[in-house]
Amino acid sequence: MMSKPKRLHPAAMIFHIIQTLKQSILGFLPVAIAFISNGGLFYLMIAIPIVVVLIILFSFLSWLRFTYRLEEDQLRIERGIFIRKKRTISKHRIQSIDLSQNIIHRIFGLTKLEIETAGNDSSTDAGLSAVTMADGQMLHNELKYKKHVSEAASEESSEEVKTEPEEKNEANLPQRKITVKALLITGSTSASFGILIGIFGFAFSQVETFIPDRFYDETARWVLSLGLQIIIILCLIVLLYLWLLSILYSVIKDWNFTITRYEKELFITRGLLEKKQTTIPLKRIQAVGIKESPLHQLFGFIRVYVEIASGDTKNNQEMNTIIFPLLRKKEFGAFLATFLPEYHYSVGNLIRLPRKALPYYLFRSIDLLLLAVIVVGIFFSPYIWIPVILMIITGIYGWAAFKSAGYAIDEQQITVQTRRFSKDTVFIPQRRIQALQRKQHILHRKQSLATIDMAILNKASGRHFVIKELRVTDSNQIADWYSSRKES
Amino acid sequence: MREQPNGKIATDAIKAWQLSAHLYALISLLITIGSIVVYSLFDFLPIWIVYTIAGLTILEWLVTAFIIPKLRWRRWRYQVFDQEIYIQHGVLIVTRTIVPMIRVQHVDTEQGPILKKYKLSTLKISTAATTHQIPALSEEEASDLRDQISELARVEQDDV
Repeated sequence: MMSKPKRLHPAAMIFHIIQTLKQSILGFLPVAIAFISNGGLFYLMIAIPIVVVLIILFSFLSWLRFTYRLEEDQLRIERGIFIRKKRTISKHRIQSIDLSQNIIHRIFGLTKLEIETAGNDSSTDAGLSAVTMADGQMLHNELKYKKHVSEAASEESSEEVKTEPEEKNEANLPQRKITVKALLITGSTSASFGILIGIFGFAFSQVETFIPDRFYDETARWVLSLGLQIIIILCLIVLLYLWLLSILYSVIKDWNFTITRYEKELFITRGLLEKKQTTIPLKRIQAVGIKESPLHQLFGFIRVYVEIASGDTKNNQEMNTIIFPLLRKKEFGAFLATFLPEYHYSVGNLIRLPRKALPYYLFRSIDLLLLAVIVVGIFFSPYIWIPVILMIITGIYGWAAFKSAGYAIDEQQITVQTRRFSKDTVFIPQRRIQALQRKQHILHRKQSLATIDMAILNKASGRHFVIKELRVTDSNQIADWYSSRKES
Repeated sequence: MREQPNGKIATDAIKAWQLSAHLYALISLLITIGSIVVYSLFDFLPIWIVYTIAGLTILEWLVTAFIIPKLRWRRWRYQVFDQEIYIQHGVLIVTRTIVPMIRVQHVDTEQGPILKKYKLSTLKISTAATTHQIPALSEEEASDLRDQISELARVEQDDV
């Protein structure tokens, strides 16, 4: 245990510089462009080095003034160049400690340490951007539960710890690693493909303004002269490229995705260039869910995630935490029994919606397009097929949402299945539901239908699981299951 | 959830809601006056728009001040059991809510100027993920209920 204040590894300066540059570049770029276009290139050439030197100076100072030390059960951090900030984090308040390494960390044999505490205020969390692997491991073990300390102590001898911290799992712990094949499937069927197309389109539209007009015109003329077939082939090549990129992306992101079950937590490591470790204490897990996108559903694949209660919403991370990127659906029962035996997989006996709920689902899925059909039909009748086709597609989704919706009650757990785009099946323990609501409007009351809304806590302020248009009798069954007093 | 809760909120709630509806109607009244002024000063505003705005203003005032408060009051019910709080509200969409006591994080009472005039306060019940309120209870009742709930909610909370 150290009691002397310690500085971060000097490489922390590099991260600080990179981060500052990243943050300021967007602000500086327009100024720089304005300077260049007004012939102020000379002043810019003077200004840039000054700014860079200032940034380096500030990074050095903030490194110099940043110290941390471990004291009894607390981590103390002092930082700030002009305004000194002191933060003390008690060991008992720590929810999770993550170690991660990006390329620079790996070159120097360092790690980044992120500490997350409870509460919705991310400013109470702490991060050490670069410490040596040994220190990182030491802090990690010091600040964790006692059990881990002994565990780590035995590993310290096995030297491997320095580079491969995830290698520390004892062989008898339940563990599962993603196969390369599954990784490729994830990449080739993931939604990030669509996102990449979007980014590509955006980047192109930004670059477009920088291309000289003459060059642009000539290229356009050349492309047009090629004829339709070649243009189509070009487009396909671009799409293929993007598709390969998205595969690459998910391979890099989820390389060696490994989940391990400890007594009181799940431990996940992943990543090729940047190794990420995530520790999920079991008691923070609010619900377990599986997601099936239509494509995955076709081939019988699912993605497993958990909803965690925590205040960590920075880096606009996804709302839920994926605990396994791709799994065959038929394997899921065994997966759950191995890693989260606290939850049961019960999907066979789902109670579905009554037939009379279907019109609501259809109407909700097409309402806006119906309006569009009417408007287009009146003013641009030759094009009416466009909204009509869209309406049919969304209508099919409405129907699919109706078909997917259902619930099952299994002792202390409720299974809720809904669909927006992907089919989402969630397993929620009764004690994790913060409040239960039943909503009925006038038509619902006439048709004895009811909507049920269950709120749980998650990374953001909460997630609501809503099953719309259940039978009233079924909604009563859910309420009876949830309520502590038994109405007859 | 078959039976509705039995506790009603204070009768003065109707008066309080009516008063705030009158105040809101003043805003629409100002818009109406504005449109009349614009109409009489410049001639680009067709007269039917002025009529529509005036009509909507009156309609809004009648509905929000004379119809909704009574319906809303009749619907508002609550009941506090040892282990849960049961609330019903909503004019068009009737919502019934169950909040288990062990999920309650804190209870607040709140009072704006309108509620203060009628000696009413609003009770707010927060869980980790949601907030629920019982509007317009009499002051004593609200503070009694607040103390009662926070007493009942003080049982051992398992994490979140």
